[in-house]
Amino acid sequence: MDREPLDRPVTLAVVEDTPVVLEGIRSWVAADPGNRVEIVASGNTVDSVLDGAGAHADVLLLDLELDNGVNSLPRIPELVAAGRRVVVYSVHEDDATVMAVLQAGASTFIAKNETKEHCVDTIVAVARDRPYVPPVMAGALVAADGQTSRPMLSGREREALLLWFQGMNKQSVALRMGISEATVKQYIERARVKYASTGRAAPTKTTLLARAIQDGLITADDIIEYQSLAAEGHVRD
Amino acid sequence: MTATETSVRRNYSLGARRAAVSVVALWHFGFDLVSTVGLWDSYRYPWLAGLAWVLYTVIGAVAAVALLSESSLRFNVWPYAAGALAVSAMVMAACQPGDVVNAANWAWGSVGWLAMILFWPRPTWLRDLSLFLLANVVVTLGGLAVAGAFDPLSLSKFLVVSVGAITLQAGASAGGHALDLAARWAVENSNRTARAEADRKAADQVHADRLARYAEVRSAVAPVLNLLADGADPANPDVRHESAVGAARLRRLIAETDDAPDPLLHTLRACAFDVERRGVVVLFLTAGTVPPLPLDVRRALTESPIEGMARARRQARVTLVATPREVIVSVLTDAPSLLAPGAVRADNVATRVEAENGGTQLWIESRWTAP
Repeated sequence: MDREPLDRPVTLAVVEDTPVVLEGIRSWVAADPGNRVEIVASGNTVDSVLDGAGAHADVLLLDLELDNGVNSLPRIPELVAAGRRVVVYSVHEDDATVMAVLQAGASTFIAKNETKEHCVDTIVAVARDRPYVPPVMAGALVAADGQTSRPMLSGREREALLLWFQGMNKQSVALRMGISEATVKQYIERARVKYASTGRAAPTKTTLLARAIQDGLITADDIIEYQSLAAEGHVRD
Repeated sequence: MTATETSVRRNYSLGARRAAVSVVALWHFGFDLVSTVGLWDSYRYPWLAGLAWVLYTVIGAVAAVALLSESSLRFNVWPYAAGALAVSAMVMAACQPGDVVNAANWAWGSVGWLAMILFWPRPTWLRDLSLFLLANVVVTLGGLAVAGAFDPLSLSKFLVVSVGAITLQAGASAGGHALDLAARWAVENSNRTARAEADRKAADQVHADRLARYAEVRSAVAPVLNLLADGADPANPDVRHESAVGAARLRRLIAETDDAPDPLLHTLRACAFDVERRGVVVLFLTAGTVPPLPLDVRRALTESPIEGMARARRQARVTLVATPREVIVSVLTDAPSLLAPGAVRADNVATRVEAENGGTQLWIESRWTAP
């Protein structure tokens, strides 16, 4: 994972109404050797968190299903339109849910069963506007791409995402594909960037694309093609 | 009743109806017309006899059309029956008093044929026809009384003709209906035979399926049962794993024929559930919707992953990725040893079994690609 030093810890606001889950998140954040993340606010509802100390948090960690029966999905577009970086986590890890969350503009999706390994890394990557693809999301991207008439992923990208979804670490994926670990990371992240350009427009998506070009993950020419696909998707909405 | 059976019955029934109509037509033109025209001069009122013949013809035509086209008469049947009786009375009235039991009075013996085709389609045809013939006898006896012809010769002639005509008419009607009944029996009989044949075939199929199933079950668990019978120690981890694999195979055989909306997922879930009950932590992840797959493809896809699951010691990650053109099942587990790829094969299904993570894990992937 990206371990470049931060000038200050990433500030995180958490919307979660189950105390034990919130405790889990706190303990994972506390256990991070680099202390890269600081939880500045937490609460039961989006509004209670953002009205208070969470107003200027770098990243918003949002539980998709709150106990009071509220589904957070409809709130995502307005949050990302306001420039917030939203990380959604959920017990519902089916590909339809994952894709709906990404289309709504969330930066990433983590399934609750993989939060422990990926929570802190995801938050740090998102705070830097870099793509991060936890394994469940990789599976959803492969399935979604195979269902469209115009697949966006290359064969190698698909293969990398698939092995990552199947539970291998990036080193194993690299070994199996005969490439370097850095290339595996690149394949997986590029797949995410390609899908960032679909669905509705959001400032976070734009910065993600800009950052991807800056990092050499994709070229500006790629963007034009993705955005034309995105525009098509937008008309269908 | 099937279409063929219906048509067999219809053919029989229509044949009998046509025969009845032909008899009436032949009688009316061959005998009634010949008598009326031939004896024209002997009638007291020839025009009345002629009119009666025409009325008979009209009623006969209407009844024949209704009978052959299987439609019902415009009004009830009884006005037509009354008309037929009127024909009988008219011809009698047209005759000289001495001719009431002679050939000139053709209608008395002939209207019974008309009645036969009028009442033919009615379920109560026998009762209705009997009533009509009785009424005709009464009308004729009335005619004889009016003509003062109650002499022994006339009465005996009357009896002979009446009995002869009634026997012929009732007999023909009964014969026609018997043909219909015979056709129905034939159809019922053939239905019974066909049903018995179908039952036998179904029983054979069930028996064959059962034998195939026994063979599958035997091959699924025979190795481990033999192992145990030969005195293998159930405490030995290898023996326990062989047993777990046998149990997983049985589970698959049971689950794969369940009527579930997604049979592949259902089979994998059922096996994962069994493995979990052994204390193995199973993480089951799916993405996409599985397209419909034939049983042999599902078997080839699940066999090795399920054996891999069964061999898991503490944990197994089971994933399923499905698109309309590709289905990939994989298991990544801490199973200790490599297993041979399954014996179940199907077209377009490829299975890989490989060591993973420096030999500490086992990775199994089965992949179906649309042809």
